[in-house]
Amino acid sequence: MNGSLYPVAILFAAIFTNNILLTNYLGMCSFLSVSRELKTSVGLGVAVTFVMATTSVLNWLVYNKILVPLELEYLRFIVFIIVIAAFVQIVEMVIERVSETLYAALGIFLPLITVNCAILGVSLFMVIREYSFIESFTFGLGSGIGWFLAILAMAGIRQKLKKARLPKGLEGAGITLVITGMMAMAFMGFSGMINIG
Amino acid sequence: MVKGKLKKTFTDPLGKNNPVFAQILGICSTLAVTNKLENTVVMTLGVVFTTTLSSFVISLIRKWIPSRVRMMAETLIIASFVIIVDITLRAYMPDIWKQLGPYVGLIITNCIIMGRAEAFALNNTPGLSLIDGLASGIGYSYVLIIVAIFRELLGTGSLWGIKILGSWWTNWSIMIMPPGAFFMLAIFIWIVKGAIIPEKEEAKK
Amino acid sequence: MKKEGTFALRIYPVLFMALLTVLFITVVSGIYLSTKDLVEMNETLSRKKAVLYAAGIDFPDGNPEGIQEIYTNRVREIGTADGRPAYFEILTDGSVSGYAAYVSGAGLWGQIVAIFGFGKDLKQFTGVEFIEQNETPGLGARITEPWFKEQFRGKTGPFTLVDEGTATGPGQLDAITGATRTSTAILRISNKAPEVAEEVIASNGGEH
Repeated sequence: MNGSLYPVAILFAAIFTNNILLTNYLGMCSFLSVSRELKTSVGLGVAVTFVMATTSVLNWLVYNKILVPLELEYLRFIVFIIVIAAFVQIVEMVIERVSETLYAALGIFLPLITVNCAILGVSLFMVIREYSFIESFTFGLGSGIGWFLAILAMAGIRQKLKKARLPKGLEGAGITLVITGMMAMAFMGFSGMINIG
Repeated sequence: MVKGKLKKTFTDPLGKNNPVFAQILGICSTLAVTNKLENTVVMTLGVVFTTTLSSFVISLIRKWIPSRVRMMAETLIIASFVIIVDITLRAYMPDIWKQLGPYVGLIITNCIIMGRAEAFALNNTPGLSLIDGLASGIGYSYVLIIVAIFRELLGTGSLWGIKILGSWWTNWSIMIMPPGAFFMLAIFIWIVKGAIIPEKEEAKK
Repeated sequence: MKKEGTFALRIYPVLFMALLTVLFITVVSGIYLSTKDLVEMNETLSRKKAVLYAAGIDFPDGNPEGIQEIYTNRVREIGTADGRPAYFEILTDGSVSGYAAYVSGAGLWGQIVAIFGFGKDLKQFTGVEFIEQNETPGLGARITEPWFKEQFRGKTGPFTLVDEGTATGPGQLDAITGATRTSTAILRISNKAPEVAEEVIASNGGEH
């Protein structure tokens, strides 16, 4: 594949064919609990996308410019999670100072993000797949958008689902998983559209 | 009294308060490897190791942890144990380590571990926290191992890489692809919630 | 809050975190260093096994010394690239009888890296071993199963794909049912393998 087009391919692959939630099951916890409401889903989706795109770049810099030269790659788990936690904390503080309304809308989601597996997952995949700086950015951004898309679709479906009559055992988590499975199947239809590697 | 609490601490996470089907917690990282039983077992052992020891250590130092940096401290402790798991796997089981890829590292963000640390280890004695962590880990593991057994068997006709079903069996490829995990877990939760738990509650009455 | 003073509020948490970090990083580093040699040994051993397998040379699996001995007798590592040998010469009775080289390409989920073994003419394949792959377990990842790898032995490219279990001729490869993308990736990689090997041998001053 053409070298300069590669980051763009990663962006689309991360959104559709390799959706981090639907193919790697990352970010399930908050996905299952927050997708009940459309409005909160949008808030969390925006926050996740933003944090994912930024931390993937930050972690790329930390990993390739600090950990690799010092041969401390094995500490990357600790370092990545601390970078993510610290970044989320800073964003929370900044948002609180800058805009009341934004804080009211996004602030409550930020602590949830630190333990969102998808964020750390993006950083770890980036290392394993040896992405370049720009590729890491598009991968983080794409994964965020992909996650956003999935939770948005799920919230929409679940709002309609409130009126449906379900077997008792399937209510809540059960039916959400079934729908997620169907969404994963639908997204598999995209595979073959892009070949990354 | 003390003994009763001890037993309850251990059995609750295995049964009605199981982290996976009652609280839907922590399925993130391990669900991804449930298409092979061998990988799942190794991965869940890693989770059990991490929950048990991190609960224990956090409980041990709970009186000295300043509340402002509580989350950071917990994360640091959990991450350290996960690195130990990662290093050990890499040294002694390089093939499986390669297959698990980034998922070992993602044990850090497994909500169960953080959840147990926050909800239990911070308020209980080290011994009790150790048992709670162990039980939560096991409760979580057996659900995923069952999911893995069905996925590998239906998807490839084998278990632990050994062919079980004969040539008459047509592999259900969907089971080893991503959607299979969602469906299996949904069915499992359905059965447990729909059939087993209500019966138990009625029996108690 | 003021009563608590700056120490409890600002200094103590920082000190606590610093202490905790130092403590845990020391422990983790200790464990890392104590297993470092083992990890490196594992990696070289698995590379040696891969080269021998690709060259079609039998070796006693699970016997590191035995593997080491056969490897020293039958394989010569030539040059370095990316911290590993650039390519390998396969020796029979002390003279070069074949080659093995790294070939990589895009798979479905990520990079596939393989070691291909060739006869002296660089046309006939003696075998293949996959070093890195992230294909779907149970589907694409079946490329690492023996039946798939064994089919390369003795064949000459360029290959075409046929349905699983039907390959007969020297130019046919069994595809994996349900893993079309991975199969075509392998086809692409193995068809360019002889060229890649020829290039790496030439650029390291070797000739064949």
